[in-house]
Amino acid sequence: MEQVTIPAGQLRRWRTPQEVAALAQRARRREVLTQTMIYVLLTLISLPIVVPYLWLVAAAFSERVSYGIIPSGFTLNNWRFLWVANLGFVSGTAGRLPNIWQVVANSLVLAVGTAAIVVVVSTLAGYFISRHGFSRRAGFLKGALALQAFPGITLLVALFILLRSLNLLNSMLGVILVIAALHLPFALFVMKGFFDGIPWDIEMSALIDGASRLRAWYTVLLPQARNGIAAVAMFSFLWGWTDYIYVLTFVLRRSSWTMALYLNSVIGEYRFADYGLMAAVGVFYMIPSLLFFLFTQRQLLQITLGGTKA
Amino acid sequence: MLLLFLGPFVLLTVLFFVMPAIITAFLALTNLDAAFQGTYVGLDNFRGLFADPLLPRVLLNTVVYVFFTLICFNTGLGLVLALLTTHIPDRVGTVFRAIWLLPRLTPMVVYGLLWLWFVDPTKYGMLNTARSWFGLAPLDLISASPWLVIVLVNGFIGASLGMVILTSAIKSVPEDYVRAARVDGASSLAIVRHVILPLIRWPLTFVLVNQTLALLTSYEYILLVTGGGPFYDTTVYALYVFRRAIQNGDYGYGAALAFILVVVGAVAALSYWRLLNFERMISAPKIEAD
Amino acid sequence: MGRIVLDKLGKRFGVVEALRDLNLEIADAELIALLGPSGCGKTTTLLMLAGIYKPTSGQILFDGVAVNDLPPQDRHIGMVFQSYALYPHMTVFDNIAFPLRLLRRPVDEIQRRVLEAAALVQIEALMDRRPSQLSGGQQQRTALARALVKQPTLLLLDEPLSNLDAKLRVLMRAEIKHLQRRLGITTILVTHDQVEAMTMADRIAVLRDGLLQQVGTPDDLYYRPANTFVAGFIGSPPMNFIPAQVETTDGQVAFAAEGMRLPAAEWTAPHLARRRGGPVLVGVRPEDIRLSLVPGESAVQGRILDVEPLGRELVVAVTVGRQVVVAIAEHGFAGKPDQPVGMFVPPERIYVFDPTTESAIV
Repeated sequence: MEQVTIPAGQLRRWRTPQEVAALAQRARRREVLTQTMIYVLLTLISLPIVVPYLWLVAAAFSERVSYGIIPSGFTLNNWRFLWVANLGFVSGTAGRLPNIWQVVANSLVLAVGTAAIVVVVSTLAGYFISRHGFSRRAGFLKGALALQAFPGITLLVALFILLRSLNLLNSMLGVILVIAALHLPFALFVMKGFFDGIPWDIEMSALIDGASRLRAWYTVLLPQARNGIAAVAMFSFLWGWTDYIYVLTFVLRRSSWTMALYLNSVIGEYRFADYGLMAAVGVFYMIPSLLFFLFTQRQLLQITLGGTKA
Repeated sequence: MLLLFLGPFVLLTVLFFVMPAIITAFLALTNLDAAFQGTYVGLDNFRGLFADPLLPRVLLNTVVYVFFTLICFNTGLGLVLALLTTHIPDRVGTVFRAIWLLPRLTPMVVYGLLWLWFVDPTKYGMLNTARSWFGLAPLDLISASPWLVIVLVNGFIGASLGMVILTSAIKSVPEDYVRAARVDGASSLAIVRHVILPLIRWPLTFVLVNQTLALLTSYEYILLVTGGGPFYDTTVYALYVFRRAIQNGDYGYGAALAFILVVVGAVAALSYWRLLNFERMISAPKIEAD
Repeated sequence: MGRIVLDKLGKRFGVVEALRDLNLEIADAELIALLGPSGCGKTTTLLMLAGIYKPTSGQILFDGVAVNDLPPQDRHIGMVFQSYALYPHMTVFDNIAFPLRLLRRPVDEIQRRVLEAAALVQIEALMDRRPSQLSGGQQQRTALARALVKQPTLLLLDEPLSNLDAKLRVLMRAEIKHLQRRLGITTILVTHDQVEAMTMADRIAVLRDGLLQQVGTPDDLYYRPANTFVAGFIGSPPMNFIPAQVETTDGQVAFAAEGMRLPAAEWTAPHLARRRGGPVLVGVRPEDIRLSLVPGESAVQGRILDVEPLGRELVVAVTVGRQVVVAIAEHGFAGKPDQPVGMFVPPERIYVFDPTTESAIV
């Protein structure tokens, strides 16, 4: 490229047609190359995720996958845990797996219970902290933000002792309360964010029209925040549904097992032996996550925590 | 009004956050064991930290694991994914971002299962099946490269948060900056370097701090895939707390170990107050009526 | 050299046609304004000239060479954005130096040229500041310096004055115009403000819904608007449009509307002859109407609806039948609302449009 310095006022000529054609082609080629490279790169680094999941689903419906990448022989036998009651253990003497439907019921109780508590409590608190002034409001928010940074593992031992003294060990209620409480700070900030986003004019006009603030809250603000409530409900359902550590630590009785413990036990007993069964249980366990994922991935990608400095 | 709306939140967080934190502090001063027998031992547990023969190994594991996972995946790959997926049509970009969110939404036991299957030391594992095509003997990856496994296991989960936050940060860079840079003669790479990266500096710092904390305190996936073994080769600090306290029943010593992490949490909290736009977060409500 | 031709230029975004068949020639060193309401396609045109958007049809010719596919960095253009788009993390100096650094010019040359450009817009004293520490006017100047530092052959200005307060706008208007004349640089100004276009541009192209309405000098647009849109867009307060009939009595052509009868200028009679008895749209600029409070002196009688004092002059709304006509009165006009008022319009200052095609008839 020619780059002559010219005093201001004396202007450079445009390029010749040949130059323009060459530059345009170079730019086009570079653009195509860049795009191709991005696609290739993204595909390559995403393969390690896609392939195992495809394998998981394929294996759940196949007789064999072990000897190659292509699963062979369609079967539903891997899903026998759904209809064979008290599936036997191959090895060990610990007993039999609990009934899958009992396990699903436990998991649902845990997930729905967690969702109910988180939604109600965080909607109440998120609204109040977003729309009402009170002394120590800044302190309250700082505190909530600090809790958000508080590592769960540090509390695990104490929670065990606490639940034991409250006689909540082995009970679903204990696990629900713990999981709900530990996720509340996050849910609070999500809900606060949604309430923050509702224009003040709407609430002001409701008050001028004669509503009390309480009435304005449930007739005007709550409907506006329904996307936030839905998001928090789904998140907290999944926190309960997918939890492993807290049920592992606080639930010891077989009759209170959730899907996580059930699958973990299947893995423990069938590892190296029956990947088909393990895959089927895994796929079965993933269904709510997958549904959630398929329906909300777009919104999910937009949720961020609070505002970061510009 | 205040009580009705904030009461439940305060009650639950005090009961399950503040109380346990206090209990942890007290437990750390006892030698409570699996039989729930224990007496006050003062600072013995904290002195014991320096005499713990396993701790140096655990700390080294932790530093290596946090550093490499953070740099390579949670921040590095997160940033790369955010940049790449915002430079292609958004419809396609969303698909790739969705793929990377999948592990985070998967129940952790299922995700653990996939890894167990991948690293299965027998010839039936995914890795060893692939190796057999090249005539290679089966490999026990966990024993062969324990650090690699724990970095990968957490990395594939961890990249997504950085990706999501940085994607929205990149998308909120005003279009005029990018256009102006193009008119000024910048190539795509130059735009990323001179315009986009400086403009997403704060979200990037937030991801860095947030993910350092998340990695320091995460142990669930490692517990599922390696159980911390062989021996203590893949045990990181948080998992060490879990193993000593929950699995071995050393509640007193475990609480002392856990208490150290409280300090880490406090530092993180302080940086959140700085990093997040706290001024905007507490901006006064515009209605003063009750 | 900086002659630009837009040849049947068009741009679609999906099903939306942002610009259709734009033909426009821009002479070297000319300052042309693209004027129109938001969504008319003016910014789309500018971004195509910059190379940010690619045309979906037609051609952009720079000195006779089609540059449709030429990337922005190879176009020798400078651009000032509406938001200025000053990089917030760079100082004023770094902002202006950015285009030169991308060209990998030697450090001393960058230093010299940045200072030259800064001197052109008188911001030499601000070189170490960040954009956030600058006033609106200073940001505007910095953006101009950054656009000019490459010594571009074409300068693009996208609503450059819309973020300035009224006083500063008048000042910058004059400065930019002066600078453009001095550098002799071909300049395209996009604006929705007709005053800005009228005062700054050599010629104005009026766009509406992606279609070019008229190109001409400010005088052309003001005195010879091609249609009701241009007539209504240029001038403030806007032109009055009154539906009327063409009548001929005693060889005299006149426009008859409810409560008024306006004689047409004699030379227009031949053009209006074949429209006798038919409907037309009569356009009258508020500044061309003379108001009189003396009863019976004027042809048109109305009643004052409202008087808006603007200081130097007054805007007077008058009802004639069901029609409201806006007029401008000199300072000192004593009319009050509800008072009867007479109006006089010089026949040669009447514009006539076809009510269906909206095009000018004479």
